[in-house]
Amino acid sequence: MIDMKNVTMVYNGSKSPAVEDINLKVKKGEFLFLVGPSGSGKSTLVKLMIRELVPTRGDIHIAGHDIVRMRLGKVHLLRRNIGCVFQDFKLLPNKTAYENVAFALEVIGKSQHAIKSQAPEALKLVGLKGKFDRYPSELSGGEQQRVSLARAFVNRPPLLLADEPTGNLDPSISMEIMILLERINKTGTTVLMATHDKEMVNNLRKRVVALEHGKIVRDQARGVYGHEV
Amino acid sequence: MKFRPIYFTHEAIDNMRKNFAMSSAAISTAALSLFLVGVFLLIFFVWNSFMGATLSKLEIEVFLKDSATPEQVENFQNEILSWDEVKTIKYISKDEALKIFKEKMKDKPEMLEAMTGNPLPASIRVFLNDAHDTDLVVGKIKGYKNLENLVEDATVDIKYGADYIEKLFSVIKLIGWVGLAAAALLCFASIVMIINTIRLTILARKREVSIMRLVGASKWFVRWPFLLEGMFQGFIGALISIGLVYFVKVWVLRQVTEVVPFLDLSVSNVLFLWLVLGMVLGGVLIGAAGSTIALRRFLKV
Repeated sequence: MIDMKNVTMVYNGSKSPAVEDINLKVKKGEFLFLVGPSGSGKSTLVKLMIRELVPTRGDIHIAGHDIVRMRLGKVHLLRRNIGCVFQDFKLLPNKTAYENVAFALEVIGKSQHAIKSQAPEALKLVGLKGKFDRYPSELSGGEQQRVSLARAFVNRPPLLLADEPTGNLDPSISMEIMILLERINKTGTTVLMATHDKEMVNNLRKRVVALEHGKIVRDQARGVYGHEV
Repeated sequence: MKFRPIYFTHEAIDNMRKNFAMSSAAISTAALSLFLVGVFLLIFFVWNSFMGATLSKLEIEVFLKDSATPEQVENFQNEILSWDEVKTIKYISKDEALKIFKEKMKDKPEMLEAMTGNPLPASIRVFLNDAHDTDLVVGKIKGYKNLENLVEDATVDIKYGADYIEKLFSVIKLIGWVGLAAAALLCFASIVMIINTIRLTILARKREVSIMRLVGASKWFVRWPFLLEGMFQGFIGALISIGLVYFVKVWVLRQVTEVVPFLDLSVSNVLFLWLVLGMVLGGVLIGAAGSTIALRRFLKV
């Protein structure tokens, strides 16, 4: 599903690379935690996978498509197959929670009928029943994050990327989100989750890829967050 | 991605409502700039129709010998009338000429008293379709085969304001070019101003555009609502400016005509309709161009 080869990303105006020489393979249907301290390159990797960034060097294939050489006019087709929960939520400020989720279905041309059944369902699943008509500015950080998550999986993408989806949530809701992500994973969706949440990683015993200073330092099946220093 | 008129229109109107301050700025910029262009063109049209009216009053007058027979005069008239450049002719008999003269001189009876009999010649006044053809028609008259039977001296008895017309034409031409250049400059300034305002409104929503792209919207899916929004803004701006220009046309022209009643200042309704159409079309196109240009950079996500 994801195949990165020798990927290096150097931001404009920066000397040291944000990620360096990354080799990562993720199979279809896998659940993977991407862990590491702030600034270790987790978000950069996620951005590279949805081609928000183009790597300085290296190859990235998503579901068999070479996304580094992909034409800009085709990129939206890639993104429709990837649900993404962004660290900064990336909700449209002029749209309500419901409209934000519906937007992901509008862009792929779903019928109004389908949108009216799927969008509310996704919002209910993330526990936002009764807050459909709130604008992002009227929601708490955790609620905004859940809208972002609902939008990411509403069109049932084969790949779900989540950048710190539980970062701002209290533990009980975090657990619910995790259960939700696992359920999504069980239906065959590949899930990649970048996180800080040590307890969660340790409890779930999934594949763990640890990043440090932009390099993969550990790749462990049924792994843990790491040893305290 | 197929075009979805209802969804995109709804999005565009929704965006305008939610970004009311920005939309108002864009609309009023469009209205003001189009108003300036419109008033300028209106003045230009008034000037043109005024000059046209003045020029159409220019005429060639051929003074006839008393000895010319009615038959010769009639042949001559038929010949002139057969020319394409000639709109109409008017025969002024000796009696009519005297009547016109008396009318002109009624404040100076002593001149009339000194006159015995009727020394005034009959004449033919020739009116042209286009005053530019004056020289051509005069040449044709001079080349008429029986002219010596009709006219005493071709250089004196065929009257037309040769020098006067030449000068007038060069002045009109100059004013026309200057006006056109100024109009072009004004149009350009307006376009730049409107496009810039629309760019600012979109710049404020740069993040929104990138979000849409990141959740899988095609370029056109993002572009259409913005394009329609720009077109609506241009359209509404044009409507407002047309209202203002109409007010200028009706009210200001009436004021001027009251002060200087002998000036025939008017714009034909057809021409005004063209102006209105041009402004609406201009507003819509500039609005579309503005949003397209502004979006181009942000869509590269």
